[in-house]
Amino acid sequence: MIMALYRLTGRLCRAVSQTRSLGTAAVEAEPPASGTRAIFRTVQQDPAHHSEQDLGQYYTLPPDHVCSVFPHGLPRHFQLQMKTFNETCVMVREPALELISHLKKADYSKPALRYLLYGVTGTGKTMTLCHALHYCSTQGWVVVHIPDAHLWVKNCKELIPSSYNSSRLDQPILASQWLKNFGITNKHFLSKIKTTKTYMWTKRESTEEGQPLGELLEKGLTRIKSSSDVMGALLRELRLQCSKPQDEGSGAFRLVVAVDGVNALWGRTTLRRENKNKVEPEELTVVQNLRKMLKNDWCGGAIITSLSQSGSLFTPRLAYLPHELLGKEGFDSLDPFIPVPVPGYSEKEFESCYQYYIDRKWLQHSQSHTEEGKKELIFLSNRNPAVFEKLCAAL
Amino acid sequence: MAAFTATLLKPWTPRVLQIRWSRYNPYYLEPEPRKEVYSTPETELTPEQLKERELKSVRPIKAAPPVVHSSVFSDPMISKFINMMMKGGNKILARNIMLQTLENIKRKQVEKYHKAPDAEKAGIECNPYVIFHQALANCKPVIGLVTIQRGSRHYQVPTPLTDNRQRFVAMKWMIAECRENKHRRTLMDEKLAQELLAAFANKGPVVKKKFELHKMAEANRAFAHYRWW
Repeated sequence: MIMALYRLTGRLCRAVSQTRSLGTAAVEAEPPASGTRAIFRTVQQDPAHHSEQDLGQYYTLPPDHVCSVFPHGLPRHFQLQMKTFNETCVMVREPALELISHLKKADYSKPALRYLLYGVTGTGKTMTLCHALHYCSTQGWVVVHIPDAHLWVKNCKELIPSSYNSSRLDQPILASQWLKNFGITNKHFLSKIKTTKTYMWTKRESTEEGQPLGELLEKGLTRIKSSSDVMGALLRELRLQCSKPQDEGSGAFRLVVAVDGVNALWGRTTLRRENKNKVEPEELTVVQNLRKMLKNDWCGGAIITSLSQSGSLFTPRLAYLPHELLGKEGFDSLDPFIPVPVPGYSEKEFESCYQYYIDRKWLQHSQSHTEEGKKELIFLSNRNPAVFEKLCAAL
Repeated sequence: MAAFTATLLKPWTPRVLQIRWSRYNPYYLEPEPRKEVYSTPETELTPEQLKERELKSVRPIKAAPPVVHSSVFSDPMISKFINMMMKGGNKILARNIMLQTLENIKRKQVEKYHKAPDAEKAGIECNPYVIFHQALANCKPVIGLVTIQRGSRHYQVPTPLTDNRQRFVAMKWMIAECRENKHRRTLMDEKLAQELLAAFANKGPVVKKKFELHKMAEANRAFAHYRWW
């Protein structure tokens, strides 16, 4: 019955049939050519035009988009998959479509809306976030993407006391890496946005007012010691200039702040000072700056966040609800937000994923192509995307 | 003193409780892992099978050993290999290494497949199970050497090997090679994947060892008459 539904939607979409190129990125809608389109791939490659018709189907991201929008954004297992299959395919799912429709219809003269993606481990929250970010990037927004906030509160080798505020700690290497990736993602905005205030990094170094953001970035990359402060300044500039109405020359731009694993900002850290005292997240400059960004006191953009238990510290393994992972303090700071639940695969989505793996030669075991094998896979994975991927890896 | 005597009088419980015993009372029945047996309705069973089913509802059943599977994806050769790789009873680790090895093989082959031009695609084998079985088949020696004493001298006499012995020797060589001749930092699954792919293409140290054994057997052909079985 599911296959019949698929054939029906396939016939409806066959108005513009597209040749499936092996190994390279799919081209935009072409005149009807020979070769049939696979049932699990969608014609529409632009995330702005994805609709309910494309639910459960895969769309391909062109390689140059991937390099520019996600220099550090995609999860590790997805990067391996990209390398193996020689293409980047993301499934269009309901939470992502919901998020994108909210982004399209929101009023950007009001304060920024906060969206929170939550769900059990492995259901696809990070991939939904990446889908929404791809949409924002194609619409020309400025993207501030923190791929995993948990990496900032654990395993940091270099903690130096901040020059700006003596009670806080800086993380120079982390901040400089992030600045580099930010530069890659938002290359075209670096010359357009100008600073509004003079910043003194040390007694001898400063950045004047009216300098383009590219200068700020370079300062952060060359002087690694003050890179955390540079990051704070950059975020402040973006926040101020985004809220201003259309200005002469600077041009209105929309800002999207995407944070994955936002529960790290209000949890506990495993970092310790040199005198072996524990470090709270408030004492880290980068966390403090990010918390300011997540407050909805600026307008002209959106804040998309997602919870994550898998990298978090001192949280029970089965916790996934916002209140459990954020704690009272985090929940109150993020309140009010729009919660977006991310469930596991539905029957149609599972079928689509299964066909995709067979097509890409990933499911090789002879028994996995049979009905019995498929039933066993559904039973073992309970339609959880991450568990299904892990099972298929060995088959 | 009183506390010490109290510990002696406490009922003794073993520290590690066995879940699967190998010695059972004779009235325990064997477990049945096959799914087809349970799905046949009562009308299709013979009277003996019906009687067996009735017995199962009364008698206790032995615990199923870990080798027995009801999954369609289980492979006895892979299970044997995992058991041979296991150290100290750590089956979980051995199994994970094996699954990671299969994944590594598949990744390398699938990557090669997608990057190859259309003409070469048919020649690239992507199924890690096929590669595993073929690689071990390529490593199996056909003939082996046995030490026989005649007088005071010991001779290496060529003998045919049974199926089981061939399989065992191939697996043993593969595991020993991967354990001993690898760099300190390479993981077992990476090294195993490399060696299995090499053996699949009839290259690599394990296949070389097999050929050397064949050559030795050929060289000692004269002593074949010393074999009396």
